[in-house]
Amino acid sequence: MGTTKPKGDRLMDALFITALLAATIRLGMAIGLAAIGEAASERSGIFNIGIEGIMLSGAFAAAWGSVRTGSPWLGVLFAIIIGLILAGVHAFMVLLLRIDQFVSGIGMVIFGLGFSSFVARLTIGAKPTSVQGLAPVDLGAISHIPIIGPVLFAQSPLAYIALALAIATGWVINRTAFGLEIRACGENAEVAETLAIPVRQRQTACILFGGITAGLGGAYLSVVQVNAFVENMVAGRGFLAVACVMLGRRRPVVAFLAALGFGLAEATQIRLQTQYPDLPYQFLVILPYIAAIAALVIGHARRGMKAA
Amino acid sequence: MSAAMTRVVRVGVILIVAALVPGLFVLLAGQNPWRVLATLLLYAFGPQGWSEVLVHAIPLTLIGLGVAFALRAGLFNIGADGQLIAGAVLAVFFAPYFAGWGIAGLIVFLILGSIGGAALGALVGYLRAWFGASEIIVTIMLNYVMIQMISYLIRGPMQETSRFWPQSFLIPDDCILPIIVQGTRLHAGLFVALVMVIAAAIVQRRTVLGFETSVLGANPGAAAYAGFRVKILTVIVMAISGGLAGLAGAVEVGGIYQRLQDNMSEGFGLAAIAVALIARLEAAAIPFAACLFGIFFAGSGALQRELALPFPLVWIIEASVIFAVAALQWALPSRKAIA
Amino acid sequence: MTPLLEARGLNKSYGQLRANDDVSFSIFPGEIVGIVGENGAGKSTLVKMLGGALAPDSGEILISGSVVALHSPADAQKAGISLVHQHFNLIEDLTVEENLVLGRPELRHGILRFKELRPEFASVAEDLGTHIAFDSRISTLSVGGRQQVELIRALFHDPRLLILDEPTAVLPPDERDRLLRFIRLLKGRGTATILISHKLDDLYDCCDRAVVMRAGRVVGTSELRPGDRAELIRLIVGAELPPPDTRHGTRGAALVSVKELVVYRDNGTVAVDHGSFDLHAGEIVGLCGVEGNGQTELLHALAGMRPVQSGEITFAVGSRPVTNAGAALLRRIGVAHIPEDRLHYAVVAAFSLTLNWLLRKLSNPRFIAWGLLRRQAAAKATATAIKDNDVRASGPRARMADLSGGNQQKFVIARELGEDVAVILAGHPTRGLDIRTVVAIRNRLVAERARGVAILLLSADLAEVWDVADRIMVMARGRLRGPVPVAETTLAEIGHWMTTP
Repeated sequence: MGTTKPKGDRLMDALFITALLAATIRLGMAIGLAAIGEAASERSGIFNIGIEGIMLSGAFAAAWGSVRTGSPWLGVLFAIIIGLILAGVHAFMVLLLRIDQFVSGIGMVIFGLGFSSFVARLTIGAKPTSVQGLAPVDLGAISHIPIIGPVLFAQSPLAYIALALAIATGWVINRTAFGLEIRACGENAEVAETLAIPVRQRQTACILFGGITAGLGGAYLSVVQVNAFVENMVAGRGFLAVACVMLGRRRPVVAFLAALGFGLAEATQIRLQTQYPDLPYQFLVILPYIAAIAALVIGHARRGMKAA
Repeated sequence: MSAAMTRVVRVGVILIVAALVPGLFVLLAGQNPWRVLATLLLYAFGPQGWSEVLVHAIPLTLIGLGVAFALRAGLFNIGADGQLIAGAVLAVFFAPYFAGWGIAGLIVFLILGSIGGAALGALVGYLRAWFGASEIIVTIMLNYVMIQMISYLIRGPMQETSRFWPQSFLIPDDCILPIIVQGTRLHAGLFVALVMVIAAAIVQRRTVLGFETSVLGANPGAAAYAGFRVKILTVIVMAISGGLAGLAGAVEVGGIYQRLQDNMSEGFGLAAIAVALIARLEAAAIPFAACLFGIFFAGSGALQRELALPFPLVWIIEASVIFAVAALQWALPSRKAIA
Repeated sequence: MTPLLEARGLNKSYGQLRANDDVSFSIFPGEIVGIVGENGAGKSTLVKMLGGALAPDSGEILISGSVVALHSPADAQKAGISLVHQHFNLIEDLTVEENLVLGRPELRHGILRFKELRPEFASVAEDLGTHIAFDSRISTLSVGGRQQVELIRALFHDPRLLILDEPTAVLPPDERDRLLRFIRLLKGRGTATILISHKLDDLYDCCDRAVVMRAGRVVGTSELRPGDRAELIRLIVGAELPPPDTRHGTRGAALVSVKELVVYRDNGTVAVDHGSFDLHAGEIVGLCGVEGNGQTELLHALAGMRPVQSGEITFAVGSRPVTNAGAALLRRIGVAHIPEDRLHYAVVAAFSLTLNWLLRKLSNPRFIAWGLLRRQAAAKATATAIKDNDVRASGPRARMADLSGGNQQKFVIARELGEDVAVILAGHPTRGLDIRTVVAIRNRLVAERARGVAILLLSADLAEVWDVADRIMVMARGRLRGPVPVAETTLAEIGHWMTTP
């Protein structure tokens, strides 16, 4: 005869799962946003390893904008603008000057580090400043349904925008002529050129879109997740976004889901820290990074199995 | 416009833009860019600064050699920071065992550093060769992992005896690289770096390994055709690349810090990429590029002290240099054969 | 009657090279004109100009009597010209209908509605007599199938003039016949066709007349009467070619034995399906088949560049036989490999000739000592090889990329062949090269055979293989047929084998 759990325990489980899932979405969103645009960019044939730098610049721009104007949404706008500018530089370098994509990307990472920290120290970082954040959505009764309420209906507005973007991007790539042309550019740019597809234009559009979402991802970090700007706060999430795109085989929705996977790893790691305070926290902090490596290895190994 | 004229104009525009970008940020900070340039140069070539430039150039040279070697094979090693830490940790961990060994102890210390970095590099190479896992992502992930690992070690098992500061115990005296110019921080790691430059140049130009590496980077199909064992070559190249970074770790500990602590790498990993690119992946040119960045790194301290310019200006300058060098390669394409 | 298309005095130069020199010809509605010439004659440059991809330096193109300026392929399409290139402009991982839409700029708007487009595609396909699944990926189609897709694309625009560039180069005999029948069908509808080819049979089987090009100029025309063949060949080839070497070898011991070989492609499918054969000293065995049926993978596996999934490849060369060896060991024991795809495998374009020389000499003590390169020795040997093999290059320090295709190939052969070679694996060694180099390479292979070398010759050109091979084997869908002695089979039978696994 089985025993049912006492009501208090079941409540704790429910709270635990709710908190974990809500945290998963919250913590994965920055990566997810950046991954959407990077998926589009890579689909058109261009990598941008520099989105780490763009996210950092976006995080700073959003924080700075929010502090200066008092409106976090304006901060988000600034992040989008800076994302566009930096992505534009990448597009110029790679498409017009034919510079190696990775060299330009690394340059962008370094620039993002320098720009965000330098200007931060001169402005909002000089002394402790609180950043007006974006309040999470409150849909009244829906947001309070047990478990799914807080998880699905009480996230930041940016999260819903992200989800919509992911689905819309996937749809555009697969169902429209524009998306078909993009796919052609990514599969075989030479042939696409011969078919009179404006390859550079399409690639530029995708790179710029990648810049917008990377900027948004950075903005999410400073204006939603942390409500502050901390130097180097992106901490590798931009690279995780690139890993998500690899894992998701350049499909925006799958890459987005992979990002949520990293969100889960991060959320788990944080919970474990509180549950096992004796375990050195450093071993838990590395979980998402180890997960990324493992995912890349397993992902490719599975693909290679067919050829064995 | 004639072709030569076009080229001159392009080069001019590139150089101007490359100078403008950091210049704009300097202006933003309320300073005069010419004063910044003057301060940098005066410091770098002045009595206090020249040794600091070299002090920074030492790890940049070592790591730059490693990054360049991997890049020649088409492999992007962004993980030098992590490999540096791995080398430093391994060397310091075993250092107490060879206290009193004299110069042999120092040599073992340096070798252990190389092994630590090489092991991490080899792991990355293995994952790339056998599983196709992007070495760019894996090396970056391992950077973060190693930063956490050293954080744990210096607060835990390897912490100094009073158990108060987040740093490791001191290394034995034998493992310390002696200062070679009194009154400065310039240590014998300089010789280590120079030896490695010569070794790398020889390997690159005269050995079969160097040749195979170049072929792998230039045309992987040709590497297969020639019968190179590409997977093993990948592991070896990443091991050597990591080993040089690990050696830099041991050198930094032996010459500067004499113990493990947080933030030993100061972002050398990324800077070394810029160094390697400026040097066009040629071992002989790396020390010069490293000195250039040494000027930026060392000089940034002076800029901060005298002109209140935040240190991250160095990154902005670095990024400008990377883009400028790449753009210059576009403006001045080389039609010479790689011989 | 006004010609449908007239080219007047077209000139095009690339630096010093005169690709097209005062080229003029005309074609009337409903005519099938063949433009014939060897590789390097200027045919592709002419085609590019007619298709709007290239602008002539001088000269005019007239459509129905009026001068047109063709600045882009779109312009050519508007003028009623449709072009099917030699190398298909298809994207492997996209489907047939996706490729068709991509080929039609006016369809590339808004949301893709394949269901509505399919009937249109289908009707054109029916005309052609093809049945292709529109939602299948290009990568699943045979070469003939891909050409069908290109034809469907070309025919959409209801062209008045269809230009086909080397369409039969990759087709097995029966598909070639089908294509030529289709061209005649088009003729009946009033569509004119220009057929570019370097094969005389193509002309005789379907063209009304021929225009001969050589070294960038039009050197003659022909009404294609049966007795004109010899004259045509003379026009095409020009001055006397070196006589073909017709020595035969004496068949010796089996130097290569392949047993139940299974090789996979990168995507996991089976490329070679339990193949077995022997290769003997002093013979040339031709390996034929439609491109994509596993020949490339077979050659790569033999050369030690691709892993063997199961089965054995044994080389009985040198002191001890080796089985399933790697590329470096094979070269050491005297197995030479001339790769099909020169730029991707045989050479490093950015390197000097000396470094390219070293690429396959790394186990030769003349050039390597204790892991160190002996650059001077290598440079000297390279200089000698360049001179002895008529490779037009400025010297051993020249960049490989600066050499013409023919000279690059001559260099590769000079590097690969030598006293120590007992087996030659040759993949399309004469593909795309000018006739002089083709003859030189063929003669070299024959000379090697006379010396007792065992040669496996992979080639898509059935006629060329027929000339030179002692035995022939065919690959279709990964399965090997033969080798059978050439004397005991016919071209028709081989053609049949190429299409029936």
